[in-house]
Amino acid sequence: MIPPTYFLYLAALLFAVGAFGVILRRNAIIMLMSIELMLNAANLTILTFGRIHADPHAHAFAFMVIAVAAAEAAVGLAILVGIFRNRRNVNIDELTLMKY
Amino acid sequence: MMLLEAAAHMVDPSTISTSSAPLILFWIFSAVVLGGAILTIFQTNMVAAVMSLVATFFGLAAIYAMLSAHFIAALQVLVYAGAIMVLFIFVVMVLNKDEAPRPMRGLITKMIGAISIVSLMFTLMPLLDNAVPGGVETPSADFGTVANVGDILFNDYLFAFEAVSILLLIAVIAAVVVARTHKQEVVEEGHLAEHEAMPEATIEASH
Amino acid sequence: MTANLHLIPLLPLLGAAFSLLFGKRLGKNVVTLVTCGAVAAAALVTLQMTFILHHDLPPGGALVDTFFEAPWMKAGDLNLSAGLWFDALTAVMCCVVTVIGFLIHVYASAYMEHDENYTRFFAYLNLFMGAMLILVLGDSMPVTFVGWEGVGLCSYLLIGFWFDKDANATAGRKAFVVNRIGDFGFLLAMFLIFYHTGTLKYSELASHIDGLHNILWLGLPVACFAGLLVLVGATGKSAQIPLYVWLPDAMAGPTPVSALIHAATMVTAGVYVTSRLHVVYEAYPQALAWIAGIGALTALFAATIGFAQRDLKKVLAYSTISQLGFMFVAVGSYVNGSSNYASGVFHLMTHAFFKAGLFLGAGSVMHAMENEGDIMKMGGLRKHLPHTHATFLIYCLAIAGIFPLAGFWSKDAILGGAFAAQWDVKNAGPVAAWFAMHAGKIIYGVMLTAAGCTAFYMFRLYYLVFHGKFRGTHEQEHHLHESPARMTVVLWCLAIGTILSGFLGVPESILPESLHHFGDLLGEWLKPVVGVQLHEESAGQFLGFAFVATAVSVAGIGSAYIFFLKDDGVRAKNFVATFPRLYRVVFNKYYVDEFYNAVVVRPLRGLSRILWKFFDEIIIDKLFVGGTAAIVNGFGKSVKYLQNGDAQRYVVGVLVGMALILRVSTHYSAAHAAQFHVDQDGHAVTAVPQNDAYTTNVRFKVEWGDGQESDADSAHPRGLKHQYASSGTYKIRLETTDSRWQTTASRSETVVVR
Repeated sequence: MIPPTYFLYLAALLFAVGAFGVILRRNAIIMLMSIELMLNAANLTILTFGRIHADPHAHAFAFMVIAVAAAEAAVGLAILVGIFRNRRNVNIDELTLMKY
Repeated sequence: MMLLEAAAHMVDPSTISTSSAPLILFWIFSAVVLGGAILTIFQTNMVAAVMSLVATFFGLAAIYAMLSAHFIAALQVLVYAGAIMVLFIFVVMVLNKDEAPRPMRGLITKMIGAISIVSLMFTLMPLLDNAVPGGVETPSADFGTVANVGDILFNDYLFAFEAVSILLLIAVIAAVVVARTHKQEVVEEGHLAEHEAMPEATIEASH
Repeated sequence: MTANLHLIPLLPLLGAAFSLLFGKRLGKNVVTLVTCGAVAAAALVTLQMTFILHHDLPPGGALVDTFFEAPWMKAGDLNLSAGLWFDALTAVMCCVVTVIGFLIHVYASAYMEHDENYTRFFAYLNLFMGAMLILVLGDSMPVTFVGWEGVGLCSYLLIGFWFDKDANATAGRKAFVVNRIGDFGFLLAMFLIFYHTGTLKYSELASHIDGLHNILWLGLPVACFAGLLVLVGATGKSAQIPLYVWLPDAMAGPTPVSALIHAATMVTAGVYVTSRLHVVYEAYPQALAWIAGIGALTALFAATIGFAQRDLKKVLAYSTISQLGFMFVAVGSYVNGSSNYASGVFHLMTHAFFKAGLFLGAGSVMHAMENEGDIMKMGGLRKHLPHTHATFLIYCLAIAGIFPLAGFWSKDAILGGAFAAQWDVKNAGPVAAWFAMHAGKIIYGVMLTAAGCTAFYMFRLYYLVFHGKFRGTHEQEHHLHESPARMTVVLWCLAIGTILSGFLGVPESILPESLHHFGDLLGEWLKPVVGVQLHEESAGQFLGFAFVATAVSVAGIGSAYIFFLKDDGVRAKNFVATFPRLYRVVFNKYYVDEFYNAVVVRPLRGLSRILWKFFDEIIIDKLFVGGTAAIVNGFGKSVKYLQNGDAQRYVVGVLVGMALILRVSTHYSAAHAAQFHVDQDGHAVTAVPQNDAYTTNVRFKVEWGDGQESDADSAHPRGLKHQYASSGTYKIRLETTDSRWQTTASRSETVVVR
C-alpha cells in the first residue's frame, strides 16, 4: 500500500530539485526547465489531494496549470531567443541590465 | 507506455493502492522522476538535459496515473513530454551553445539559497505527515476519466477554460512578436545593421 | 401652490454650461443666441410666474417648488429640503434681475464683441444669472446661501476677467476675501437661527419665532445677534461700511459686469436678505437702528468720496455704495412694529434701472474713448455721443431725485420713512430713549445731505464728461463715435425704465380720487410679505418732503454747475488749490484702504510670513517633508544594492522568505496559544488560555511547579485549576502543542501562593 503522504514527499523533493536548479544553473534554458519541474511538483500535490478527497475538480486545476505552463514556456523561450539574438548567449548572470 | 498502462490498471480505485506491487512501482517511478530531475539540472549538455526532463515527465505521468488521474497523465505525456519539450529542443537547437565551464559566481548567494531549500524541506516534511488527517476517500468509477474532467471543465470552469485559451493565444502571439526578426529595423538602418551583425555571427559560428 | 420655478435659475445655468462646453466650437453668434435666449426665457418664465402669483393666488400667497425633498442635507436635528419660493418680494427681485440682466446681456454682446474670451464672458454672465436667481428664489437660508456664494464666485471670476493684468486679478481677490468676511457673518446667523428656532425656511420662521427671544449673551436676545450677523453678511455683499472697500476695486471688471453685478443685482442681495429675514428684525427692532445707522453713514461717506474721484467708473462705484446706503436706511427705518422694507425694495428697483444705465452709459463713453476712464481727459462728448448723452442725463436726473423720474419717488419714500422712524427701546436710559425717538430725524438730515452730495457729484461727472472742451488726445478725439445700435437701444430701454419705474410708488395721498387705484402699486404688492407700505403721510407732508429734497438736489446740481462748468471749472481748481490737503484726503478715499492695510492686512501678512518662513519652510518643508524624503532616500540608497539585476539572487530571496514564513507561522500558532493568564484563589491557581480560537487545535500541558502536571485538551477549554498543598513560591511551566503543525511552545511564570 502506498501512503498518500509519499506522493506529497515526492512532490516536495521534486520542488526542491527544481528550486536548486533555478538557483544553481546560470543557463536560462535550464532555469526554465527547473521552473517546469516546480510546476509539476505543484501539480502532483494538487492531484494527490484530489485523489485523497476523491475530488475531480483537482484535475481541472491541474489542467489549467499545464496550460499556463505551456504559455509560460512559449513566452519564456521566445524571450530567450530574443535575448540570444542580441547578446549571443543566455547566461542569466550576465543579464544584469535591470538593476539600480 | 506499456508500463504506464500497467501502472494504471494496478491501481485499486478504493484506496490509492493495497498490494505491495504498486508500492514497488511507486518507488521505481519516483526514482525515475527524481533521477531525471537531478540529471536535468546538473547536465552540461543541453540536449541531454532536455531528454532527462522528458524522462521525468514520463515518470510523473505514471505517478499521475497511480493517482487515478488518467486524463491528466495522458495530457502530461502529450502536452508536456510532447509539445513543450519539443519546443525546448527547438530552442536548444537554435541557440546551440553549451555552457562554457567557468567558475561559479555568487557562491554565497547560492549557499544561502540551498540552505533555505533544505530548511524549507525540514519544516515542510513534518507538516506533510499531518496533512492527511482522515483516510483516503473512495472515488467514483469514472474518477479522472476524460468524460469526468471534461464535464467539470466545461461546466464549472468554463470561464476559466476560455480565459486560459485566450491566455494561450496571447502567449503564442507574444512569442512570435518577441522572437521574430525585427525586419523594420533592418529596413530602416539599411545594410549597415546586417553588416554589423554578420562578422559577430561568423565569429560565433567558427567557435 | 407648486410651479416650475426651477426653470428660472436652470435656464441661465444650462446656458452657462452649454457655452462653456461647446461655445468655443460653435462661435460667437451661437453663444450670444443661447446665453441671451436663456436669460430672456428666464425673464418670460418669471413674468408668467408673477402673473400667476397676481392672478391665481390671494395676496400673501406664494409659489413653491421643492426640487429636493426632505433629506437634502441631514445631520442630527438638521433635516433640510431644498426648494424655491416665489412670493411678491421674490417676484420684484426676479423681474429686476432677469429684465435688467437680459438688457445687459444684449448690451454686452456688442460691448464685448472683440474680446477673445467672449464665450467665457457670457458663460460667466449666465452662471451669475443662475446663481443670483437661486439667491432670490431660495426658500430657505441654505439655498439662498448657495446662490449667495455663487454670485460671490461669479463676481470674483468677472472682476478678474482680464486676469492677465495683475491689478485686475488682485481686485478680484480683494472682492472675494472681503466678501468672505460677510459670508462668515451670514453663515453664523444661519447657525444661530437654526439652533434656536429649528428651522431655516423663510415660510416657517414666523411660526418658530419664540426661540429668537431667548437671551443669548449680555442680556440680549438671539434675534439681536442673528440680525447683526445677517447685517455683517449684508455689509459684505452690499458694500457697506466697513466692508465696502472691495466695490470700487471691482470696477476692474468689464463694464457690463459692473452694471449687472456691482450696481443692479448682486450688491442688492444684502438689502434683499435683510428684507427677507424681517421676522428676525421684528423680534429685535433695535438691530434695525444699526442697519439704518450704517446705511446713513455709508451713504454720506461714499458720496463725499465721489466728489474727488477721477475715474468714471469709480465715481459710479462710490455712488452705488452711497445708494445702497439709502436702501439700508429704508430697511432700517422702523416704526410701529414694522420697517420701511418696501421703500428699500422700491429704491433697489429704480436704482437698478438708472445705475445699470449709468454704468452702461459709462461703458459707451469708454468704448468711444478707447477704454479711457479718466473724466479729466473727457469733456464735450455730448456732440459725439448724442444717445449716450441723452440717456445719461436722464439717469443723472433720476439719481439726483428730480421729479418725475424714478429716483425722486424712491428717494422720497426713503427720506420720509427715515424721518418718521422710531425704534422702541425697552429698559433703556433716558439718553438712549431720546435717541431712539429722534435718531430718525438725524438720519433724515444725513440722508438729505447725502442726496445733495449725490446730485453734486453726479452732475460733476455729467458736466466733466459731456460738457466743456475735450481734454483728451487728438487721436482719441478723432476716434470718438456713438456706440452701435445694440448698445444705444439698451440705454434707451433702461431710460424708459428709469422714467416709468418710479410710478410704481406714487403715494396715494397726492393722487386725485379717481386715480387712487394707481397709488402705491409696489407697496400694496409687497405689503402682505414685508408689512407696512411706503407712504403713510398726508399729501401735504409728502409735498413738504418732496420740496425740501428737490431743493437740495437742485442746489447740488447748481453748485456742480458753478464749480465744474461755469468759467471752465476754474472754481473747482481754485477750491482744490485753497484746500489741497482736504482734496488729497478725499481723493485718497480718506485713506481707508491704507488704514485697513496697516491694521488688518499688514499684520496678517507679517503673521503669514512668519508661518511661511518658519513654520512652513523650516518645520514642514525641511523637517517633515524633507525629513521623510531623506529617510526614504537613505533607506532606498542603502537597500538598492539588493537589486543588482541578478535574477538568481532574487529567487534566493523568495526562497529565504518562504522558508522563514513557513517556520515562523507554524511556530507562532503554538507560541500564541501559550499565552496564559494565571488567577489565584486561596491555594488554587487557574491557568486560563487567552485566545479561545486556539483551544480546539491546541493541547495544553501545565507543570505546576510542585511536581504535579495537568494535561488538557479541548475537554477543558476554559482552563486548568490546581490546588496547592501549601503556600510558597512556585514556577509554573505552560506548554502548548498545536496539533496541526505539531509545533510546541512554552512559557514560564512564577506565582506566589498564599
